[in-house]
Amino acid sequence: MTATTHGFDVETSEVAFDEILPQKAGTALWAPAFVMALAGFTAGIVLHVVKATAVADGDAVRAVTLGNLGTASMFFGFTMVFTAIAFAIARILGAFRVGGSGVQASLGSGVKVLQMPTVGKAFIGLMAMGMMIILAGVVGHVVVATQVNSGSMSLLQAEQWDWWLEAARRFGVQVYLFSILLGLATIIYVVRFQTIRIRELAQIA
Amino acid sequence: MTATLDKIVHPDVDYQEKTKHRKIGIGLGVAGLLLGMAVAVLGVVAGNLVGNPGDEQTVAQLKAVAFGLNTTALLLLKTGIAVVLLGILVRIWIRVDSVRQSLAVLKPDAEVGTIRTGPIDTEYGAATVTATAPERMTLHRMATTMWAPMAVMGVMAVLGGLVVSWVWAGNVGTRTGLGAAAWTQGLQFLGEGFILSSIAFLLASILSALREGGGEVQQALGISVVTLQMPATAKAFVALMMMGLMVEVVQFGLYVYITTFDDLARYTLWSSWLGPFRELGLGLLLAGIVLALATIANALGFQFNRIRDIVVAGK
Repeated sequence: MTATTHGFDVETSEVAFDEILPQKAGTALWAPAFVMALAGFTAGIVLHVVKATAVADGDAVRAVTLGNLGTASMFFGFTMVFTAIAFAIARILGAFRVGGSGVQASLGSGVKVLQMPTVGKAFIGLMAMGMMIILAGVVGHVVVATQVNSGSMSLLQAEQWDWWLEAARRFGVQVYLFSILLGLATIIYVVRFQTIRIRELAQIA
Repeated sequence: MTATLDKIVHPDVDYQEKTKHRKIGIGLGVAGLLLGMAVAVLGVVAGNLVGNPGDEQTVAQLKAVAFGLNTTALLLLKTGIAVVLLGILVRIWIRVDSVRQSLAVLKPDAEVGTIRTGPIDTEYGAATVTATAPERMTLHRMATTMWAPMAVMGVMAVLGGLVVSWVWAGNVGTRTGLGAAAWTQGLQFLGEGFILSSIAFLLASILSALREGGGEVQQALGISVVTLQMPATAKAFVALMMMGLMVEVVQFGLYVYITTFDDLARYTLWSSWLGPFRELGLGLLLAGIVLALATIANALGFQFNRIRDIVVAGK
């Protein structure tokens, strides 16, 4: 059932609530995303160090190829670390939902949990958007590396693509950071609701 | 300074009142996003000009301007995140007051008896039972005072780098331009490192508030004080954060060092790996932040479990 209390849209029940799907995904997937982030950063820095040897040798094609692969790995790492942060925030929101409803259920005075607020929905939508934009940039860098290495793309074209892909990557990172900001803003909303709710329970008692 | 920070974290507001952190944080984030959009447009324009005879100078200038503005956009977004985290911290302390007062009413009367102190195992990890609230840990003391200076230094370094990026744009192809390029990149990423460290310190302050507040509530109720011991994720968080910050300080030193190079080839070679190196530093800081958030989720799970025990068993 749904209701409005103290200006918050809530779901009501007599028993404790479980995590919702994004929170379940956050609980299960933050750790794998974290490990993949570390793998991406490691591969990225290794590829860039090897690229530096190609720069030193004056081998431009090899340097551009490795540079693009290194950037792809590094930004795969950034995608995964932002994903891990977003999932960890979802896990925190899940802890509030399950924990808060568990305390209310044990008091036997009715359970109220927040319906997903607009900022929470925007958090999920923008997270997916940021992830797609950065991953598109990552794929673009791999394609450029392959084309340059095979000789079907000139170094000048590669430089041009580097500008476009960098623009996409940068914007993707900004969208992702904004989604994380909204996820954290949702936590403020939840803590305020729970603070009001526990006072209400004490007043009822 | 400690008193000022304490006032920021513990403002005199009613528990029902909305604080402004959320709106300010989202506002800063929107500003960052809009600036980021402008930078993306600059990037697309520069890409279209690549290869056009006579536009080399414009492309090089756009590179300098876009770099400076992009890092500033990231600064706005991260500052917005820091403001929202500060809002969470404020709310956590308001919650501590509310939980303390409410549990005094909700807790059933029960004989507490003699408190058996010492380590115990819980489903959330190892914990310690004490008769009184534990003291604030050294790491938490450091975090609760360091987040503000780190944020100020971060803002100053990034904005300083933004000004230097205009010197870079005005002197492309000259020795002054190369020096300004190195200063811009080194300074702005040092600033990014500082602002991410400020975020990490704010997260550690939230963990501190959960631990200290939890202890205070249990002590006020006259029951045994159960506190989680520092989990492995928290230890790894500190290690990753320190490593990331060190990388950012080192990259800054190395960028300053390459401004002394007379040989363009040597400058280019060093620049080719310094770029990814400075990104690695940010990556390590962000990885630390993941672990801090995971630790907060675990601490919250533990606290709700403890509150449930108190309202059901009264001890």
